[in-house]
Amino acid sequence: MSAAVQSMPHPDDIASMKDKVSPEEWQSRVDLAACYRLIDHYGMSDLTGTHISARVPGEENAFLINPYGLFFEEITASSLIKVDLDGEVLSETDYPVNAAGYTIHSAVHEARHDVECVLHTHTRAGMAVSALKCGMLPMSQHSARFIDNIGYHDYEGVATNLDERERLVRDLGETAMALILHNHGLLTCGYNIPHAFWMMHKLERACQAQIDGMAAGTKTVEISPTVQESTKNQFKSKGTKNADLGWAGHLRRLDKLDPSYKH
Amino acid sequence: MAVRDTVTPEEWETRVELAACYRLIDYYDMSDLVGTHIAARVPGEEGAFLLNPYGMYFDEITASSLIKVNFDGDVLTENPEYQLNAAGFTIHSAVLEGRPDVACSLHTHTRAGIAVSTMECGLLPLSQHSMRFYKSISYHDYEGVATNLDERQRLQRDLGGENHAMILRNHGLLACGRSVSEAFWLHFRLEKSCQAQVDAMSTGAELKLVPEEVCEHTLGQMQAGGTRFGDTGWPGHLRRLDRMDPSYKH
Repeated sequence: MSAAVQSMPHPDDIASMKDKVSPEEWQSRVDLAACYRLIDHYGMSDLTGTHISARVPGEENAFLINPYGLFFEEITASSLIKVDLDGEVLSETDYPVNAAGYTIHSAVHEARHDVECVLHTHTRAGMAVSALKCGMLPMSQHSARFIDNIGYHDYEGVATNLDERERLVRDLGETAMALILHNHGLLTCGYNIPHAFWMMHKLERACQAQIDGMAAGTKTVEISPTVQESTKNQFKSKGTKNADLGWAGHLRRLDKLDPSYKH
Repeated sequence: MAVRDTVTPEEWETRVELAACYRLIDYYDMSDLVGTHIAARVPGEEGAFLLNPYGMYFDEITASSLIKVNFDGDVLTENPEYQLNAAGFTIHSAVLEGRPDVACSLHTHTRAGIAVSTMECGLLPLSQHSMRFYKSISYHDYEGVATNLDERQRLQRDLGGENHAMILRNHGLLACGRSVSEAFWLHFRLEKSCQAQVDAMSTGAELKLVPEEVCEHTLGQMQAGGTRFGDTGWPGHLRRLDRMDPSYKH
């Protein structure tokens, strides 16, 4: 085992950051740690892989991201790493930042000031849809919110080349809240942390249903163009309302399971 | 006398890691009752490796319960309470004898792994996960339950000198790592690759293919990481097991 890995402290031994950051940053840290735990709880994590980031309130160019090496179920508010858009680490940590995570998330945070949280996964159904030329199809109510609201990005290799950022930004576009990373996985954006989680939960379920619907081999039905148009607008008008509504319940669930995310 | 007191510290460490690996394969739903096996070379003891006591479930395996055997099939553990699985001995002795660079050989019968093993096309480069195996995975034709020791030479031939994974056609998956953690990591990625491939192909829709040069570039990126990817997650895996049931260490 390499020295770098051996020097990573046990998550229980990471000192609290609560008194070292603004109350707003602390709140973001708690919500983001909760989001990592939820992604794991709902079966969407991939060991130490993938990442979720949140902009630091009041610090335009800084965002929080996971300590690479901790599992999502271990992440705490204090263990999250603050990094700026240039890749400079702004908080004390013994853990590295995943290089591909930095590339992907800095790209979105730099270009999309309306987005507060960016969430990326490698789920079975997400990876499967990402390997289809047709992409996401309007086959379910869950998929309807992604009509004209999702981009596609071709695979270029492990995202450690910073040049890829301009193509990520181009492919996400100025308004879309989701991106299918072809041959790789899924990405959602949120106007806040609950919203990014909410969008991912919907996108994941939409992918699962699409795979199963298509796998049956029988003729599938898509939502009619007129209804696509009206449903798309219904979702647009809701903003973060439904996501916010569910968040308190998510936190209650985590508090019952393991409240250590708040530390 | 406790097994721990009869073996070298290096062997004990390998036993703990290997027992952890059995538990993890079970935790991530990749076990198959008492079937399949994971083997690890005993450090400093030429030709000896550790294998599971046949009949114990993967979630029951402990460092002390693992059985030491050599390439000739001589059981080196004194008075073992369990026997070895004959097919497990054939497969893993072949891999470890044929590949001195391999420390751990891991075999499973997962739903998606068996499914891909039935496809003539084999594993396709459809996901980032699968890029690690781009043109670097072997295939071995099915010959029956692997109790014929002659099969070892064909297993060795098919695995070759460089690949770290092999699809056992009509049977399952095999991953081999330079450490126990690397074997687990490679297998986890291989399993996820198979899952995504099965799901994508089940739609019958046209697949999005990755250009050959991108596949090659990504394989290079991943190979350059060496055992680092497996290492990074390993302490977290052990913490997870410690929270759930630390008895693997006994």
